[in-house]
Amino acid sequence: MITLQLLVNGLALGAAYALVALGFVLVLNATAAVNFAQGDLVMAGGLLGVALAPHLPGYLPLPGLLLLPVVLVLMAGLGLLLAAAAYLPLRRRPPVAVFISTIAAGIILQNGASVLFGPEPRAAPPLLGGGTLDLGGLVVAEQSLAIIAVAALLIAGQQWLFGRTQLGRRLRATAQDPEMARACGVPVTAMILITFALGTAFAGAAGLLLANRYFVTPTAGGDLILKAYIAVTIGGWGSVPGAVAGALLIALFEVGVSSVLSYPVALGLLYATLLVILVARPQGLFGEAARRRA
Amino acid sequence: MRRFLSILSATAFSAVFSASVPHGAALAGEASVPVLVPLTGFLSLEGTSQRNGAVLALKDAPAGVAVRSEVIDTGTSPEAAVTALERAAGGKVTAVAASMLGTQMLAMLPLAQDYKIPLVTVSGTASITEQGNPWVFRFFPGDAVTKEAHARYVAEELGKKRPAVIYQTTAYGQSGKAHLEQAFKKLGVEPVFEEGVDPAAKDLLPVLTKALAAKPDVLVLHLHSGPTALFIRQAAANGVAVPIVAGSAMHQPSTAALLEPAELKGVCAETAASPISGGSPEVEAFTAAYRAAFNAEPDAFALGQYDGIRMVLGAVQGGADSADAVRKVLSAGTHQGLAMTYKSDGKGNMAHSAVIVCYDGASRVPAIAKRYDNVTGVVTGMVK
Repeated sequence: MITLQLLVNGLALGAAYALVALGFVLVLNATAAVNFAQGDLVMAGGLLGVALAPHLPGYLPLPGLLLLPVVLVLMAGLGLLLAAAAYLPLRRRPPVAVFISTIAAGIILQNGASVLFGPEPRAAPPLLGGGTLDLGGLVVAEQSLAIIAVAALLIAGQQWLFGRTQLGRRLRATAQDPEMARACGVPVTAMILITFALGTAFAGAAGLLLANRYFVTPTAGGDLILKAYIAVTIGGWGSVPGAVAGALLIALFEVGVSSVLSYPVALGLLYATLLVILVARPQGLFGEAARRRA
Repeated sequence: MRRFLSILSATAFSAVFSASVPHGAALAGEASVPVLVPLTGFLSLEGTSQRNGAVLALKDAPAGVAVRSEVIDTGTSPEAAVTALERAAGGKVTAVAASMLGTQMLAMLPLAQDYKIPLVTVSGTASITEQGNPWVFRFFPGDAVTKEAHARYVAEELGKKRPAVIYQTTAYGQSGKAHLEQAFKKLGVEPVFEEGVDPAAKDLLPVLTKALAAKPDVLVLHLHSGPTALFIRQAAANGVAVPIVAGSAMHQPSTAALLEPAELKGVCAETAASPISGGSPEVEAFTAAYRAAFNAEPDAFALGQYDGIRMVLGAVQGGADSADAVRKVLSAGTHQGLAMTYKSDGKGNMAHSAVIVCYDGASRVPAIAKRYDNVTGVVTGMVK
């Protein structure tokens, strides 16, 4: 029974990590730039939830469900700002310029959050309710189920967008070859802005979901960007399914392996696994779907 | 926004005090006490408490003492702390409220000796008072004190003999674990389970599961704030009946705020003091003043730093007119603070008391369950 419970916890954690990694991959695919502010954007999403919750009408009956779309929209707006400030002015410069500008943006977000919210850990409201379900000895937090459901919906939505819509085709064209896409009439700058908005919205959703169950502090983003980076490297740079698989693998180590061994050993094994994958399959488990320029 | 206003008011406070007396000047009854603490980075929660405690003490300076001060954020790097101290040392300094981060303190110590500036800190890192440096004064009990109280409460008051010890893999966690081990050994208690947890670990159910499999009769935590709350929440959700005695992070009001009162039922924690628990009119007045000034709840770090700066200002009021004179008072004097009575053990360790606080499940304000005074046995004849 405990194994089943750990599995549910691992799935919930992996689902939230997947959202972080997906936002990372989206920007990577469209711009070939690594967005090192992604972890801090997750933090921002969590704190946004903390800040907005008391002001939302109907807060008590369905707090998180009301909050989620609001956070998604506001974070998308933040993504547009990030693109305008940290990417677009530097797009024709060497990739390292974007590295640095996104790191700087992350530091600004961290310190801004520290000034506005203080350093205390905070908990965002739960999506459905803060309770647990007792399924014949299996204690499952409602938030865990909500995380899995929301992540599945957003990932499926993203797949639909990219696979079945005109906008998705334009986004993919921008990711594959921006110059050719522009020559074919695709508004590349707009596509990049949309990508940043989507990626940041994903980060915001992950932040809101994680901040209820695992709390959020202004400095929480550092660990998450590292995990997103590892997930993407394991899965294969640019691969959406790879990012999801990588995120689930990290959660498996964190929850599954650490329940048998210890957390430090599990972490060591995770990095050893990453090393093995890099040596044996440098393109990652799911290959490299996008040309990496950064 | 409230937080922003609080920071703004603290900055304004610094500016007012900085402007009140010409820089570099020193008059009788004048104290210049820069506050060099981590306000950003991973220790910002504790550093902010430290800053607030120092600022409140400077604001409440005793009669006849004019105060000049400025607050400098040291971040978390040793270089930033050294730069801040060098900047502060440009003027005539009475004492410095110095970072609670051990690595920063270790970097600041040689400089303090060169400049002859007393460093008043609430850092818990044991080694800072083991350098033979006469310019450091620690107004917070180190792990040797708090962990002995922690272990004694578990063994002597609760009568538990099979603790499971879960600690953080950071320097803070390793130090606490080492002292817990020693203290338990002295009490004839052998932990049945020990495991370190990385602060980045999101789910603590795995370690909880393994700890319970070892059939402990008590869970002993030495974790940072977020992981402490996470562990207790997961234990409560899983109906764990084994009592929990946590480290000092639990006593911080911001940690308790993450949990429902019912989740805290029966949970205890060690700490130097718990200002929100009251205990005397003076402590209650401190807590009220802290709330009014910072719109936040004070913790033991704030109270320890407040007491330390009050001792410095008391020395100035008593006629100490130089940094060296203040150092001599701190080295040899006794100070009846709000948290405890402070007296140096000869190395700069001023605090020798710890308390155990417990939650009743009805509120987030703990009650003091047990007080341990004179724990190290170094200082004798102390009041309380």
